Amino acid sequence: MTCEELQPEYGAYALGIGEYPERAEIAEHLARSCPACTPGVSRALETVAAMSGAVTPADPPKRLRRRVINLVSPDDKRSRAAVLAPWAVAGALAIALISVGLPGWLHRGESPKLEQALSILNDPDTKDVSFGEPAAKGRVFISPNKGVVFIAAHLPPLGAHRTFELWVIPAKGNPIPAGTFLSEADASAVYVRPGPVTNAAAVAVTVEPEGGSPQPTTTPFIVTKL
Amino acid sequence: MSVEASLLFGSSANPNIARKTREIPLARYAHQRSDRMTIPGLFLALELSGEHDEELAKRLQRREPDAMAELYDRFGRLAYSVILSIVRDVAVAEDLVQETFLRVWNRAQGFEAGRGALGPWLLAIARNRAIDHVRSVGSRMERNSFEFDAREHPSLFVDMEREVFNTDHARLIRSAIAKLNANQQKVIELAYYEGLSQTEMAERMGQPLGTVKTWVRTALRVLRDELGAAVTA
Repeated sequence: MTCEELQPEYGAYALGIGEYPERAEIAEHLARSCPACTPGVSRALETVAAMSGAVTPADPPKRLRRRVINLVSPDDKRSRAAVLAPWAVAGALAIALISVGLPGWLHRGESPKLEQALSILNDPDTKDVSFGEPAAKGRVFISPNKGVVFIAAHLPPLGAHRTFELWVIPAKGNPIPAGTFLSEADASAVYVRPGPVTNAAAVAVTVEPEGGSPQPTTTPFIVTKL
Repeated sequence: MSVEASLLFGSSANPNIARKTREIPLARYAHQRSDRMTIPGLFLALELSGEHDEELAKRLQRREPDAMAELYDRFGRLAYSVILSIVRDVAVAEDLVQETFLRVWNRAQGFEAGRGALGPWLLAIARNRAIDHVRSVGSRMERNSFEFDAREHPSLFVDMEREVFNTDHARLIRSAIAKLNANQQKVIELAYYEGLSQTEMAERMGQPLGTVKTWVRTALRVLRDELGAAVTA
């Protein structure tokens, strides 16, 4: 069909209600960038777009914004908190969950951290212990050969110049410092401490002055026996 | 404004009430409509959208996640409103909004950043997703994504009036619709909200196909002229 014959059908086509054979003909003209039909349909599409101005407005649920953004951006504190919420998941599932939570690290150029975490989670000797202290709840994965992955939510607020410090408590002897970490804005934390962990009987977390302490200076608010 | 006109495009006033069948009179919701006419609120944020299209499009093309957030902040509510007005189901609408934004994200490379109009493009995609859904639910037509692809190609959304989403145009389109006669309004409504083909409209309205086609054409021309007159005025 000629462009002149198709011209009256641009509007119906733009609205998505074109009939055969005009519909197919217009599509064919557009496919070859027809100099008459392309701007013609474009104008008709403009009118259809303007019709949205007459639609009754409705407020989308607030979660929808998050869902849309998460389609392309896994690095998000709230999404990570949501991922960490189901503490009751089986150990094997935790790997999948954490791999969802960790892409934020990738985004921030911390991919070695992810590799370390996965190597700890995948170690057959890794112990997996959940805790639910009044102050915080979370989960510890501890591999004698590879290290510790510590995940927590609802961590208490830190004062200025303070940090959390993880301790590995052996069966006998003093707590061994296992590194310091901070919480995210939503009071959660995912902390990875690579390296061998020998004779660990428990892990604990205290609040310490910035930079950490060689021995705990406050009472641990998390103590989890392994 | 006629009763018909007052009902037109106002049928999704309460998103919490999913219409069970498409035959329930739209008048059921009409009484709620006047309270919910917050068109200026909806479009206020879009007033300047055209100026930022180019920059936002470039950021989408660079696949900056923040650009998706901005795209949603700019068009999310409008896309949701359009989709909900067609599918009448909150959960389905949410899914289709996600599909819409993901499609824009994935196809932004084909968008001509200097000339393209993001809003009209995104809303076309949104409406197509919704129409595709109601058609497939009603088993009226098989899904035909090829046809949609042709109609939502970004190359068609260039050099458009970008202020089609501002408050004035919202008022304008409403007054333009009010100028249509009852039959013209009816076919536009059936087309816009239900995606009925002209053949289906002819069956539903008990009219010859040629008559329906004339109504559609005339209605669209009136709308186009009314909008065009305002643009050049």
